[in-house]
Amino acid sequence: MFGLDAIAHNNGWMIAITGAGIVFTGLGALSFVISQLHKVVALLDRPSKATVAVVAEEKISIWTPPDCPNDIALTIKLYQPLIEELPSEFDLAELYVLAKKYHLPHPHLSIRCLINAGRLESLGEGLFRLQT
Amino acid sequence: MDLVLQFLHNTGFYLADYRNLIMIVVGSFFVWLAISKNYEPLLLLPIGFGVILGNVPFFKGFGIGIYEANSVLHYLYFGVTSGVYPSIIFLGLGAMTDFSFLLANPKLMLLGAAAQMGIFFTYLCALALGFTAPEASSIGIIGGADGPTSIFLTAKLAPHLIGPIAIAAYSYMALIPIIQPPIMLLLTSREERLIRMPEMREVSRKEIIIFPVVGLLLCTFLAPASIPLLGPFFFGNILKESGVVDRLANTARNAIIDTATILVGLTVGASTQGDVFLNAKSVGIFALGAVAFSIATASGILFGKFMNLFLKEKINPLLGAAGVSAVPGSAREVHMMGQKEDRTNFLLMHAVACNSSGVIGSAVCAGILWSFLIG
Repeated sequence: MFGLDAIAHNNGWMIAITGAGIVFTGLGALSFVISQLHKVVALLDRPSKATVAVVAEEKISIWTPPDCPNDIALTIKLYQPLIEELPSEFDLAELYVLAKKYHLPHPHLSIRCLINAGRLESLGEGLFRLQT
Repeated sequence: MDLVLQFLHNTGFYLADYRNLIMIVVGSFFVWLAISKNYEPLLLLPIGFGVILGNVPFFKGFGIGIYEANSVLHYLYFGVTSGVYPSIIFLGLGAMTDFSFLLANPKLMLLGAAAQMGIFFTYLCALALGFTAPEASSIGIIGGADGPTSIFLTAKLAPHLIGPIAIAAYSYMALIPIIQPPIMLLLTSREERLIRMPEMREVSRKEIIIFPVVGLLLCTFLAPASIPLLGPFFFGNILKESGVVDRLANTARNAIIDTATILVGLTVGASTQGDVFLNAKSVGIFALGAVAFSIATASGILFGKFMNLFLKEKINPLLGAAGVSAVPGSAREVHMMGQKEDRTNFLLMHAVACNSSGVIGSAVCAGILWSFLIG
């Protein structure tokens, strides 16, 4: 059997429409849940009202590497997909070539900052890996 | 003299069939593509070599070939036919995937859902061409652009088609740089390709850790048949994100997935014995695979444009093309296409978000089709 008859005979229209509907519903629901997730986390993180003890504020000194891109987290986000394309232990030159290929801004500086910030771990012999 | 003649009759030179020779040429072509052109070498090299290996002519009945009980290749192939290797590969994939991009912009998940429409469209096309419903489902899933998912569903529904479907799925994944860009150009205007995506918000560690649990529960409650794929996938992800079992996460994303990839590639390649593989059905599967991939890409892009009708902050519709789950090939293509129009437009992270959603979407689709057809 061929053509529309074959589709109808195998209940194809119903399976396709229902299947597509379920996928959209499922991923739509997941999308909604994760869009609210940060609110739930914020609720869970809210400090308890009962605790009123005053704790002296600790001065946190944040070391910022000189000349680095302003946001190291953003740099990691930009470079992580590139690093995932490479073997787990890679040469910096390979990362540099990929960064150039994707036209990421100031790759030399960014890679140096990743090393300074301790996110690229040297394994010796010129090999590095991402410190997760 | 008789002994020599008997030996000669058992050699590959005597037993060679023109179909074996054709497949050896195809396998050699894959090996060439992998090594010389660097086209998805992780997939094409094991598959290509497997094709060559599986088509060496041999005397049947000695327990040598992949389809002969008790042969070594048959035992290795068990991981494919039982759906074990795809589950293991999903474990490694989960341990490699960073969901923070998706968590930062959850609406991109809908593009991953839209790109799965290629699966259902191709399912209908395959039915219309005379394939049975289980065969049509297995062919349709090629549109998910996910090799392990294709192998898993085919192993469950139409195991006799594993060879051509796996080869088609992986070949089209390797051909993403050729298939997707023309469709992207055709369906989007320059203005649309120039749309910049907003800065992503910071995602907390707690969100990243909670997501695999929420994702697993929601998806598998909806489509329990996707447990063999999504279970290991989200487990691998929580290994990675928990930060307390780095050794396990590293093993999952390196040694385990590499081992499974080698075995799946080699045995799927070896399963393409000329006498089994070269027939009209395989040609039909390859043609439908191209349709599946193209429709999947197009439906993702068109849904992105549709979403823009309602969104205040427009999204770049190119991202829809990354809704297929070919990680990271399709995300890379989207990024490159965006950069062709504007070198300062970085779409990579957003495209990776769509890719992650596509992996979940195609596994859910496989679960849905499986549950429909075993019922």
